[in-house]
Amino acid sequence: MLRNNRNNEHPEKGLFYSKTIRFLSIIIILIILATLPLYASSYVIFVTAIALLYAMVVAGYDVLLGYTGQLSFCQGAFYGIGAYLSAILTVKYGWSFWQALPISVLFVGLVSVIIGYPALRLRGAYFAVTTFYLAHFVYLILLNEVAITGGPLGFRGIRPPEPIGPISFESIESGYILILFSFIIVYFLLRKFVNSNVGIILKSIAQDDILAESIGINAAVYKLLAFVVSAIIAGYAGVLFAHFFRLLHPTTFSWFLSEMVVIITLVGGAGTLIGPVLGAGIVIFILEFLRFAPEVRYVGWAIALIAVLMFEPKGLIGLIRRMRRG
Amino acid sequence: MLKVTGLTKSFGKLIAVNDLSFTVNEGERVAIIGPNGAGKTTTLNLITGHLKPDKGVVEFYAKNITGLKPYKICRAGIGRTFQIVRAFPDFTVFEHVLVGAISRYGLRAPTDLLKRQVEDVLEKLGLNAKKNTLVRNLTIVDKKRVELATALALKPKLLLLDELMAGLNPAEVDEHVELLRRINEEDGITLIIVEHVMRAVMKLCNRIIVMHYGKKIAEGTPAEIATNKAVIEAYLGEGVPYA
Repeated sequence: MLRNNRNNEHPEKGLFYSKTIRFLSIIIILIILATLPLYASSYVIFVTAIALLYAMVVAGYDVLLGYTGQLSFCQGAFYGIGAYLSAILTVKYGWSFWQALPISVLFVGLVSVIIGYPALRLRGAYFAVTTFYLAHFVYLILLNEVAITGGPLGFRGIRPPEPIGPISFESIESGYILILFSFIIVYFLLRKFVNSNVGIILKSIAQDDILAESIGINAAVYKLLAFVVSAIIAGYAGVLFAHFFRLLHPTTFSWFLSEMVVIITLVGGAGTLIGPVLGAGIVIFILEFLRFAPEVRYVGWAIALIAVLMFEPKGLIGLIRRMRRG
Repeated sequence: MLKVTGLTKSFGKLIAVNDLSFTVNEGERVAIIGPNGAGKTTTLNLITGHLKPDKGVVEFYAKNITGLKPYKICRAGIGRTFQIVRAFPDFTVFEHVLVGAISRYGLRAPTDLLKRQVEDVLEKLGLNAKKNTLVRNLTIVDKKRVELATALALKPKLLLLDELMAGLNPAEVDEHVELLRRINEEDGITLIIVEHVMRAVMKLCNRIIVMHYGKKIAEGTPAEIATNKAVIEAYLGEGVPYA
């Protein structure tokens, strides 16, 4: 603490040395991602698409956990509701993807308001446990309502998005590009959101909601807003997942997914937006590399998590910032 | 502007505030004093909605605000600071005060208006040099100033200050008294202060309310209170022979 007294610069200043380097690295990463279908195998494209979907979900979740300070365990539920609702609307009712997409996302938003309004009256761990049960409740419905969801047999026959003019989304590459495009837009919007006046209010609530209330901020409404934003983005990613993967199974949307979202956000560095996104990339690829040894996978992952939280509680971004400072 | 009638609050069997009534007029500087546990902070918390009274009414500009949520009471024009300093540790001083300005002028307020408001307040409290310092790295005294600055950015009509002077040395107390006097006279903000530092109370306030065991035992000008028998008994105990 005392050492930091001299270093009174703004903490948000730079992940990299300068704006130019930061800008260049973003461009390079985007070029690599955009040109991936030209040289990478469909397996790599597939894994990258999943990582991008995760990146979207965790970026949205960071608004809730990192910026507003509310721990929840139900992003998997919103992801699952989005995926299954869009699948049901398109397959059973013959809607087009472009009709099902906004309706599914809106529905997820509605669910999050109905759940969030009462649940956010609880604080801290009580809120977290409540959301955990929501996640499990949704999973049980997906698993047991066989007539609607297909239950443990899975939900088959989902079509890719209908073409827009000459652009078809039939192939895995085009599906990937749609996901990449969605990710860029979602990230850009979230960045604008957290840098706005709303963002600074969310951060104040995360630090001390009693003080925030006493300076005229309706903390309950802002917490709900963050909850709904995170839910809508998870729902949107879920819809994309359904029409990219084209086969849904309840286990994909179990509590494990919700927990992964929380862990990725913490490992990446909550409250930075970019941290969880990088975390999603790294975690998904590490899990893929460890696929040859399923027993080791989660053990290794757990050890890595404990190490991160012990040595750099601010996550990967904290580590990068510390290295930068030297 | 503020009228408190029959305010009562118990915690279990302890009656913290007992049938308390007083009024505060626009432009006044009122102190609430009393021995530890007299119910001063509880009174402030009842006014600002952090606690709900068992009985009694709080009126602000003739509007009943009893038991409203704290953010609504703040928006009605009552700002406050806390006895145990509350601050957003991860903000810079500038950001900290900015939250107050955003709360006052709305999310869509133009950036330059917000910036000007914040800089005015920082200037007034002499925090300009520290505006890029993280609040967590400030001393307690400066944290209290930041808390006060944030409350001022809300442009309240009435400001409740809970032991702002605790832990200050006499020179700093005088400085704060001057500051509060200016806030009161130049900005037209009515002040209610809860304070143990009698030097500040006597210099600053034009009226003093004395509480003891949750009840108001005296009210008057500083000169009247200083010679009031009930007040002396409350502080020194009954029947103490004066040496």
